[in-house]
Amino acid sequence: MALRLAARRMALAPAPFTRTFNRAMATTVEHTKEPLSAISEATSASQPPIPPSKTTTIQEPEQEANAKTKTFHIYRWNPDQPSDKPKMQSYTLDLNKTGPMMLDALIRIKNEVDPTLTFRRSCREGICGSCAMNIDGVNTLACLCRIPTDTAKESRIYPLPHTYVVKDLVPDLTQFYKQYKSIKPYLQRDTPPPDGREYRQSRDDRRKLDGLYECILCACCSTSCPSYWWNAEEYLGPAVLLQSYRWIADSRDEKTADRKEALNNSMTLYRCHTILNCSRTCPKGLNPALAIAEIKKSLAFA
Amino acid sequence: MASALRPNMLRQAFASPSARLISSTLPAFQPQQRFLLQRTPLALQQATFQTSAKRELLPPLPQRLQGTVNDAQILGEPNALHGNYHWTFERGLSAALLPISLAPFAAGSLSPVLDGAFIGMIIIHTYIGFSSIISDYLPSRRVPFWRKLFDYGNMLAVFVVGWGWYEFETNDVGLTEGLKRVWKAGSSTVPAS
Repeated sequence: MALRLAARRMALAPAPFTRTFNRAMATTVEHTKEPLSAISEATSASQPPIPPSKTTTIQEPEQEANAKTKTFHIYRWNPDQPSDKPKMQSYTLDLNKTGPMMLDALIRIKNEVDPTLTFRRSCREGICGSCAMNIDGVNTLACLCRIPTDTAKESRIYPLPHTYVVKDLVPDLTQFYKQYKSIKPYLQRDTPPPDGREYRQSRDDRRKLDGLYECILCACCSTSCPSYWWNAEEYLGPAVLLQSYRWIADSRDEKTADRKEALNNSMTLYRCHTILNCSRTCPKGLNPALAIAEIKKSLAFA
Repeated sequence: MASALRPNMLRQAFASPSARLISSTLPAFQPQQRFLLQRTPLALQQATFQTSAKRELLPPLPQRLQGTVNDAQILGEPNALHGNYHWTFERGLSAALLPISLAPFAAGSLSPVLDGAFIGMIIIHTYIGFSSIISDYLPSRRVPFWRKLFDYGNMLAVFVVGWGWYEFETNDVGLTEGLKRVWKAGSSTVPAS
């Protein structure tokens, strides 16, 4: 028992010291290593340091009279402190000085308030799918989501649900991409094109790909699907199944039967219970549930 | 990167509690006291983040990947019996249940064969429904024992319920007549026959 207690004390001991070290950047240096200075520090009656906010000549900007201040609660978790629980951090912004979209607010927070806030963004116009996150309870792209102008309501921003979080709003989509790779998302053909130049397609066949090719793989739909939450290891999820159907429906692809056969078991495709969260949440307005239903239909009457 | 010079940034840094609040000369007591001071209680941490009661049913496991990040996910073995045949049968059965549940009331005739077929279909329909729930929430990769138990329990339920219906059909009035009586239960104008 005594041994176990000792071991526990040892285990707890390092944590505060590392914390002290981390905070040393922001606070004053609390004790010097040098012995002479340590003595003089101990013997002299020193006054507590004056914080720079009281000595600075730079004043805080006055809040404008017609400022529209909105509060954003953002999920924070830092992998450098893995023992700390995830927490919600609140930021306030004046909407008059912020762009119209959630991504503008996030970028402004990162630039001007808290540079440690971490999120993915790239194109800021809904074409790259990087900034997918859960905003006010809906999975969407931050760059396509307007900030509600009602300042009385506070916005809450989380990473995509049921994902492993890398940091703050950055989810780990490795499993998602591995699944995407498993459906072979490229044209598979054995025969050369008839005219020896390119694989041609009729207008009607091309039209079948509308509503499928626009998918940017932002993972909003897959991470909104309860079935995918419970069985992400085996069920492909709406986004990947939509991509699978994009290649099944392609008239130029010659491996349609193989593609359908690969999905034909109890878990890979048929964990879809037509919950339709995917179609509801898609920030691009696509309909993954329809694509899954088309796959099921083509398998049923095969 | 001028943000470190901004006064509001620095104020935020100062607002965070200093790590050295207690200076004990006995090192054995230092860390634990500090530890208790710095850490908010676990219950409070969760209360700030979670509003509903916590139920640890199948908590998420640490992330584990098949192969490297660049390998494709290995999909399940194709199996038509558990795949498209199963799905088509299930949907066909659901569609067939609609007319057969209305037919005896519309026709007004009672046939024990029709009744028996209706009951058999209901039992298979519920069996498929429950097995779908079981495969959703009890993955065999995680809880193989419970999965097996529930699968066998589901199968056992088919026979127990089937036996119950058999007794009801042979020794009592049967499903359709039973439903008719339940429908009219409590209305005093129709005497119970």
